This record gives sequence, C-alpha cells and structure tokens, in this order.
Amino acid sequence: MVSLVPLAIAFSVFVLAIGAVLVLWWLGDPERDRSRLPVDPTPFAGGHAPQVHAWNRYHARYYPMALVFLAFDMEMVFMYPWAVVFVSEGLTAMIEMGMFIVVLLLGILYAWREHAFEWT
Amino acid sequence: MREAVQDLRLDSRLRMVDTPRAAAVLLVAGDLDPIDLDALARVHDSIPHPRATVLWQSSAAMSWQSEPSSVVVTAIDPVPQIRAAFRDLLGDRRPSESAVGGGSGLVEWRDVGPYGQGGMGMTGGTPYGRPMAGLGTDRDGLRLDVLPVRLGPFFPRLPVGLSLDISLAGDVLTEVHVEIPALPSPIGPRSIFARALSRPVPIADLESARARDHLRWTSDALLAQGMPALALVALRAAREVQPGDGARVRALAARVRRSGVFRWSLPRQPRLDGATIQGMGLGPVSRAAGLVEDVRLEDDGYLALGFQVQTIDAPGVGGWWQMRLDEAARSLDLAARAGGQMTTLLGRVEGPRGRIEAGDTPTQRALTLLPDVLDGLEWGDAMAVLVGLDLDLAEAPGSASRCTVAA
Amino acid sequence: MSLVASILIASVAVAGVMVAGAYLVAVMDRWTARLVAGGGVDAGRAMAAPARDAAFLLTRHRTSTERPDARAWALAPALLAGLAALALTLVPIAPDTVIADPATGFVVFSAAIAFVMIAVFLHGWAPDSTLPLIGAYRFGAQALSFQIPFLLAVLATTLPAGSLSIVRIAEAQEPLWNVVRQPLGLPIYLVVGLAVSYWGPLDLPDGRDLAGGTSAEDAGIARLLWSGARAAMLVAIAAMGATVFLGGWYGPVLPGPVWVALKTLLLLAVIVLAGNLFARVRIGSFVIVCWTLLIPLSLLNIFVSGAILL
Repeated sequence: MVSLVPLAIAFSVFVLAIGAVLVLWWLGDPERDRSRLPVDPTPFAGGHAPQVHAWNRYHARYYPMALVFLAFDMEMVFMYPWAVVFVSEGLTAMIEMGMFIVVLLLGILYAWREHAFEWT
Repeated sequence: MREAVQDLRLDSRLRMVDTPRAAAVLLVAGDLDPIDLDALARVHDSIPHPRATVLWQSSAAMSWQSEPSSVVVTAIDPVPQIRAAFRDLLGDRRPSESAVGGGSGLVEWRDVGPYGQGGMGMTGGTPYGRPMAGLGTDRDGLRLDVLPVRLGPFFPRLPVGLSLDISLAGDVLTEVHVEIPALPSPIGPRSIFARALSRPVPIADLESARARDHLRWTSDALLAQGMPALALVALRAAREVQPGDGARVRALAARVRRSGVFRWSLPRQPRLDGATIQGMGLGPVSRAAGLVEDVRLEDDGYLALGFQVQTIDAPGVGGWWQMRLDEAARSLDLAARAGGQMTTLLGRVEGPRGRIEAGDTPTQRALTLLPDVLDGLEWGDAMAVLVGLDLDLAEAPGSASRCTVAA
Repeated sequence: MSLVASILIASVAVAGVMVAGAYLVAVMDRWTARLVAGGGVDAGRAMAAPARDAAFLLTRHRTSTERPDARAWALAPALLAGLAALALTLVPIAPDTVIADPATGFVVFSAAIAFVMIAVFLHGWAPDSTLPLIGAYRFGAQALSFQIPFLLAVLATTLPAGSLSIVRIAEAQEPLWNVVRQPLGLPIYLVVGLAVSYWGPLDLPDGRDLAGGTSAEDAGIARLLWSGARAAMLVAIAAMGATVFLGGWYGPVLPGPVWVALKTLLLLAVIVLAGNLFARVRIGSFVIVCWTLLIPLSLLNIFVSGAILL
C-alpha cells in the first residue's frame, strides 16, 4: 500500500494556501461599506454601456482541437506507467508505445490538413 | 496634445494603464467631443475610490461637475499636479470624487421573460436590465450566441473617439460598424502638414515631422503587440531624431524584427491588395501593396532632391509596419540633404497616413475599409489591423477628443 | 513531529517562497524592462518598486461589476495560488528534504498545471464582462495546446529515473543532468512554462489588445492577488524545471539548497528576459506550433532518450 501521507500533506498545503488567499481577498479591501462610496459597476469596453450580458453560449471555435486533445490526454494516461517500466521492459516497450504514438501522430497530421487547429 | 500625452509614458513617476479599474487619476487632456462626455463619465465613475480627475488644457465648456471639482492644469507639465492630487487623496486632504454620470439605471435582477419563462437566475427576460445575448447563425453552421459589443471611444488601443459596433461570434468579429459622430464642419489636421496645404514649407521640416509621426505610431503599435520596453525606445527616438538620424531608425527596425513581431505576432491576413485600395492614397498602406501612390512625386521640390518612391510587395499588416519604419528612415535621410528646399505643390500634401487634401483625409478613407477588412478576423488579429492602419481621428471629421486614463 | 505541525511549518515555508519569489519576479521584470528600454537600471528603485506598486493597489477599493460570480472571482486567485503552493511542495531541496514526495509526484504536478486553466477561466468568467470572457476562452485554447507538450517534455525526464517521484528524477541526474541528456526537453519546457503562467509573449488572456483581458475588471487587492499568484506560479514552474532538468541539488562547492535556489533564479531570469524581448504570439500561431511542432519534437525527445537508455 503506497503511503498517502505525502499526498495528504501536499493537499493540506493546497487547501491552506487557498484559504489564506481568500482571507487576504476579504481583508485587503480598504472600504467594507459599499454604499458609502459607490463605483459604477458597468463592465469596461471603452466607455459605452454593454448591450447584453457577457455570459452567453460562447462559440469556443477550437472545439475540434479540444477533441484531439482528449485523444492525447488518454495517451498520456498510458504513458505514465509506461515511463516507469520502460527501462526494465526494454525494446518491446519502446516499439509498442512507438506504434501507439505513430497512430496518434497520423491523427495530428490529418487534423492539421483538415484545418482543425485553425478557427478563423 | 496627443503627442504630449504619449510622452507621459516616458515619465517614470506615472504609469498609464489600460482599464479604469487599475487607475487612480483620470487625466483628461485637450478638448472633448460633447458626444463622448457620457462615455467619459462612465469611465470616470468606474475608477475605484479614492480617485481624482485632472483636466489638462481642457476647455471649461466641459460641464464636468464632480464633488470635489477636478484639478485644472494649464501648464505644460501636468505631472506635479497629478502627483499632488494623488498624495492629497491618500492623505485625506482631498475627498474622493463622487459619481459624475447618471448611474446605470439597472433594474431588479430577477425578471420574467416575454413568454413567462424564467424569473430565476439568468433565465428569461432582462436580468439586471440587460438582455442575454441572442442567437445567430454562424459560419460553422451552428446556432450559438452572437455577442454585440460596442467598443467605446476610450478603448485603449483605438484612437480616442472611435467607436466600433461589433458582433462577436466567439472571438471572431462578424460584423463591424464604425461610428464617428459627425460634426458640422470637418476638422483637418493641425500640424505642418496642414500648413503645407496652403503655403510652401521647408522639406526638411516636413520630412522630419513625417519620421517622428511614424516613430510615434511605432511606439503605440509596439505597445499593442506586447512590447512596452521597445515602445519606450521608439518613443525616445521619436522625440530625439534629427535629420540624418536614419541609422538610428534602421537600428530600431532591426530590433523590432528581432523581437519576432513579423514572424508570430502580426496576422498574415488580411491582405489589402492593390486592387482593393487602388486610388485611395493611403500612404504606407498603399505603398506596401505595391501601388506607387505618393503626392510627393508631383512636387518639383522633392523631384529636385531626387526623391523616389519605393514600394514593397507585402500587402499585410507586417508590410505596413515595415513600410513605415523604412519610410521614417528614408525621410530622415532626405531631410538631411534637403538644405533649404521648399515644397512647391499647394492644395495637396502627402501626410504620414496618405494623401491629404482640404476636407479629404486618409483616415476618412481608411475608415470606410474597416467593415470589410475586419470581417472574420480573430480579436487579436483585428486589433493588430486596427493599430496597423494608423487611424488618426484628428484627421477625420467630427472628433476632437483626446483623453486617456492614467494611474 | 506531528503531522499537523509539519503541515504548518511546510505551509509557512511555501508561503515564504511564494511571496519572496513573486517579489523577485517583479524586480527582475522591472530590471530587464529597463535594460531592454535602455534607460539605465536603478537598482535601489527597482528593488523598492514592487512594494510601492503593492502599496498603491492596497489603497484602492475592490470594485465589482453588475452581476459578477462573486465566489468564482474570489476563488480564481486563491486557486492559482493554491496550485502554485501545491507545485512547490513537490520540489525537493535535498535528497531527504522535501515537503511532499508522493510516489507519483509527477502526476500531482501535472494535475496542478492542468487546473491553471480552470483558475484563469474562472477569473475571466466571473466579472460578466466581455473582454475578460474573451481572454478566458483564449486561454482555454492556449491551455489545451500547451498541456501535451508540457507533459511529454517532463515525461522524458522520468525515463532515466524509472519512477514518477520527483526526488527519484532528481537523484537520477547524479551522473549527468537531464538538460544535457535530453537537450530538447528544457527549451520546450521553458516555452510551455511561459504559456502556463501566460508571461510576456504568451500573455494572451490578459493581453493589451483586450485592455487587460481577464484582469480588466480587477481593482485593488484583487489585482494584487492575481498578479502575485501568477508570479508564484512562475516560480513554481522554474523551481520544478531546475529540479527535473538542471539537476536539482547537485553541484560542486555550494550546499544543495543553494544550488536549487540558484538554478531556479537562472530559469526565472531566462523566462523574465524572454518576457521583455519578444512580441505577443498570435493564438492561432501558438496553437498550430504546439500541435505540429512541439508535440512531435517532445515525442522525438522521449524516444531518442529512451533509445539511448536501452
């Protein structure tokens, strides 16, 4: 059973850091009473008031690239344990991962030819 | 006035910022088009407290009523009074300014839509007084929201006074309308170029002014492309160059090239080809497209000095940059050997942006190109094109506002 | 000592490194900017300048927009700082001196970097304002693109170690540093390191063409915390790079921890200098370069170093 203590320590530091910054966020405001000195809350775009809310069904045009990213992220999942056993497994490990990578690289080539990485 | 404001960047006692939220002092320099007052009030009210306003060589017709009233500066150097106002704010000797505009007039957040839907959160009706973005068809065939944005007169990368009405599909511009308020009489450029329309001026002065204008533009453009340090180098050069300093400009051009601006920062598209802008007389933009359009070729004074037009075949934004830097260097060389030669042509002059005639300025012509040129560009590329076109609203009719937001 | 005590001491140490590191990044940024601008470097003023800027920001009230996502707005810098702290806990300064050495340290580090996208997106989404939103989505494209080259570049360093633990990776560099064994690794790591904390040429979400982008509506303490968290993230990236590429605590004469600090400073200096020398990259160009150039190069890096190991 791998020790979870280091992970617990790291995670605790993570949580403590988040808490500390949130406390600073709250404390660092010189003026608690907002109504005393109001500031125009209009979002800045050069001076005009916005016509609509900014939150919208934004067209993230890089969605084809995001799909390719998913494929490579799954490849990374396989490469983590592969890297650990690589030296002991030798040439077979290299060739097997090589075949996997070549297929993915062909995918990138295809996506590039199909302009999946461009969006204007 | 615009040059004086730009020179404030060199002053290490101040920092000019891009958004009112980061500022402490609003510096209003020069006179303001009354149409932009509303937007200026909004910008002023967006500045976090404690805040102050400094009116620098602004006419009293501003009808700016803040409580306490703004600091008025008539001297050449506003910095000491800006710093004094800021110190007074911090030391509680001066209260923070109250709101100047009318407020947003927002309504209650929760609202019900026209079909009775919603009433909670962001759904239905006009939450907080603003509707949600509407659907629109997209080039990709998807029905997603189209975001209308009005980039106002004080957007940091646009010339002051220019408003753009943009429809955004994602981060790609799909429709652009240019708004310039029209005033009854056009206001021409006030500089040596305006004087050259009506009487002969020394070519050395004219060419020096042209080089300096190009260098000032280079400084703003470098800032827009993310190189504030090089922008200061260009600004210092703009202030200090004399006729014959072509080598200094060429050294600056080499540094600009080494920063990778042409390789990965500026867009390859759009390309304003010769066919599109034939006859528009847009100065460096035209000559970068290979068109030989230069009013100086009609001027005997220039021809006597052996003036020749050089064009390149690079009709994109990178070409415009290169053209301006090259021309600045060549202008300084020409100014050095001009001696006392005067211009001979009246009624037309080749300004830094192109052919200027009474009532007809290159910026007016360039603004007509904007809707087509910006269509389909990604935001960063669109901003690069806007900066690259070197628009100067002092030239176009209907704008006299020169303001900025400072820290 | 008890677990709680060690966690508290670790937190203080990490906080100290983050604050000092962020301050140092600001000082170096000012130095290199003045160096590039040719204005002469006034060391005294440069050292005090970040403190003055921080004091200035602390005098500002923290503003809000009409209908922000207030929790997300507060959480964004907190999350970014937390991720920087998490990454720093994994960096060893001596063979037995590290705050946390999980057996899969590299995976924890990768997770920390992956979540940076969430933090920046939240930061841009929260104010309900157009310019920050565009910046947030731009960073989405940037983050998706830099992830894989990042992971692959650091994965190559796990091959000689045969382990995902950062301490083992550092120990495996005793004969030869990874920057020499795997020359392609560090340049790719630095480019992607610029992208993670979106510094200089890769400052796309907070770019000047967006009037400050995701930070356009930040005022006062919000602005200070966000820029501090970004700088701390940069320090974490540099520290990890120093450990897995530059051999960590190995070096003649000086003690191990000093070497770690010096190597981190070196990488920070390189990154900050690059920030002031180069123009902002177009998002379109960056995405294409990441996918068609950096990924094949990092894969080549992995297979060549793997072949050498066998």
